[in-house]
Amino acid sequence: MTDPNIDFSMVLASAVHDMKNSLGMLLNSLDELRMEHEPALVGSNKFNMLQYEAERMHNDLVQLLGIYRLGENNLSAHIDEHYVPDFLAEHLARYTPLLEGLGISYAIDAADINGFFDEDLLTGVLNNTINNAIRYTNSKILLTARQEDHELVIGVEDDGQGYPANMQHSGTPDFKSLDFKTGSTSLGLFFASSVAVLHQNGDRTGRIALHNGGTLGGGVFEIRLP
Amino acid sequence: MIQNLRKDNVNPFGKLAFLIVDDFENFRLSMRQMLRSCGADKIELVAHGGSAIQYCTYNHVDVVLCDYNLGDGKNGQHVLEELRHKKLLKRSSLFLMVTAETSKEMVMGAREYQPDAYLTKPINRAMLEKRLGSLIRQRNALFPVTREIDRENYPEAITMCLQALPQQPRYKTWLMKTLGELYCQVGDLAHAQKIYDDALNQRELSWAHLGKCKILLANRSFDQAVDSLKALIEKHPDYMEAYDLLAEGLEQQGKALQAQQVLEKAAEHSPNALLRQKHLAEVAGANQDIDTATQAWRQTVSLGTHSIHDSAEHYLSLAQSLSDLSEGNLDDEGAEKANEALNALARMQKRFPDDETLDLRSRIIQCRVHAGQGQSREAERILQEITPRLEAITGFSAEVGVDFAKTLFRMHQATRARQLLSELAAHYEDQPDVLQKIESLMDEPVGFRQKIEARGLNRDGIRAFESGDLDAAVEAFQNALAIVPDHAALNLNLVQVMMKQHDEHPEPAILTACKRRLDTLKGLPEQHRQHRRYLALQRKLQGLMQ
Repeated sequence: MTDPNIDFSMVLASAVHDMKNSLGMLLNSLDELRMEHEPALVGSNKFNMLQYEAERMHNDLVQLLGIYRLGENNLSAHIDEHYVPDFLAEHLARYTPLLEGLGISYAIDAADINGFFDEDLLTGVLNNTINNAIRYTNSKILLTARQEDHELVIGVEDDGQGYPANMQHSGTPDFKSLDFKTGSTSLGLFFASSVAVLHQNGDRTGRIALHNGGTLGGGVFEIRLP
Repeated sequence: MIQNLRKDNVNPFGKLAFLIVDDFENFRLSMRQMLRSCGADKIELVAHGGSAIQYCTYNHVDVVLCDYNLGDGKNGQHVLEELRHKKLLKRSSLFLMVTAETSKEMVMGAREYQPDAYLTKPINRAMLEKRLGSLIRQRNALFPVTREIDRENYPEAITMCLQALPQQPRYKTWLMKTLGELYCQVGDLAHAQKIYDDALNQRELSWAHLGKCKILLANRSFDQAVDSLKALIEKHPDYMEAYDLLAEGLEQQGKALQAQQVLEKAAEHSPNALLRQKHLAEVAGANQDIDTATQAWRQTVSLGTHSIHDSAEHYLSLAQSLSDLSEGNLDDEGAEKANEALNALARMQKRFPDDETLDLRSRIIQCRVHAGQGQSREAERILQEITPRLEAITGFSAEVGVDFAKTLFRMHQATRARQLLSELAAHYEDQPDVLQKIESLMDEPVGFRQKIEARGLNRDGIRAFESGDLDAAVEAFQNALAIVPDHAALNLNLVQVMMKQHDEHPEPAILTACKRRLDTLKGLPEQHRQHRRYLALQRKLQGLMQ
């Protein structure tokens, strides 16, 4: 039996909202625990996994809400000018305790430039991509930023095995093609791509690109914004 | 990191005074711990919005870190608005809103005052140090500008902005936005527009687009402003300020119904903005959509509980709307609304005990509420009580006068009501908005349901006239006048149609009827906007009757 008065997607969205806030509290406590027990926890795989997985869930939920708002036609890019090196440093900072705990080294290679983008939307994309890089890297993560062909290019590189051949494209993943069986649903890529498309300048539109190689020889995620 | 800072010998945190506002003790303590490890020294902790405002009243604070959700009482937005509104926090000091919301929907309240930055939980030390560090660097770089704004020396602030633009490319957006606001503040719309045009030439930026629309409205280019705002909302359906501005533009175009629809949509997206609810209530009230107006006044009053924008006027307006709704409705529903009105007035008097005029204003409405519920003895008793009190006051305000006249109409004292309104019209002849209220009441001294009916009949009459069906027009206007016999424009509409009938088929009886109609308008005050039309038709009639 279906009750026509229940807007299921809205019920889901409120539940997701609640879960996300809960996870935020949980992550906060994990950060505090890490600070309070720094020496004991620094190499603890269990603790690192706890934090990593919680971060991942948190990011997924943030994206889910973003996609919900996108579907409601209630999400638009409020583009402003930002100083890119600071933006990257601030977001990488959120992950430094975890990166240090996991023994992953990290660096930023950003040109001294201002860029035009929606800070909140890009935060979502960056969090997810860093999260992904942590999962697939061997030992290093590099954030990059440069101006190229009148586009701002922000990249996240690692020294892992790289993206499988079927994922290396620069088009927009279709929501219908998301594969829920493989465990990796590419939800993050769908979100990143949607965010890129929301960034427009004149007749040019943002996009994402995945390839292998880069400075570290692993996977390279790039979001290119006009 | 700390070592790095010490090596540079510039610890940006050390000299500044911090205030942490959060209702969770654990969070306050962990935030203090993080700030200390960043090198901060002067850190105060408070749990509630009220204590934050208290603290800022007596102490200088450079950086406020305030949680949005503070449990019962004021939330972070209330604290921000009160601190900025009362100038308890300098513009050169930073207000950071700490929020668990990644989307800012919750925070998107009245956007008059925005925090300098949002910090999204979860927050760790490394992130806080980076984020706060760059905000403090920004604060220091822009201090020459904000210092002049704090001194209210806006021309000098503009000079400082212009100097900083080439030197501080990193903060270009902040400087451009601030310049636009400053130019508007000093009334230099041409330069403000140039700032927004420059920004838009670079690329489409929603804040610059909005700024440009503000200038269009200020320059009274309403059509252009409305079109431009519609385009902006098309691109940014989540940009609430654009809705507010669009509603203003539509009102100026005389499209009050559309304005109401726009505000309803915005209020649905973001229901927590007091000023938006108030705007909606006013527009709906003017449209005689009293149900919507009442609901919006309820929201306005309820949002006022912790807000700097709270005002007794909101309670009075709520009670007036409820009184209109309950009038003549003797069912349970009507009784409930009447009670709600009386309760709202009682709460108002408790909340604003120092305002001596409120008791009288409250009694004027109470009298109407009782009359509307058939409790004529109680209504009469109140009228007896307040009449001498009002007579003792010389030159009371327009609001009190108009509202008292409304009560007099309800108490079947139309002559006294009209006399009072004529006196008010003479006294406030240079205030168009007051005159408008007086005219509306003189024209339509009836309940809102009758008003809606009469307005509908008036529209029918105009439509019939335009399509050439004079008989149908006469009938519609006559039916409308049966409801509101003193309505100036309606009477004149009827006279005009009858004269046209006379043109086609001259008949003395028509002219006599015209004269009777015009005679009812003899007492029309000179200030009434229909007065010239009245004189013109009177002259024309005299010509025809000779």
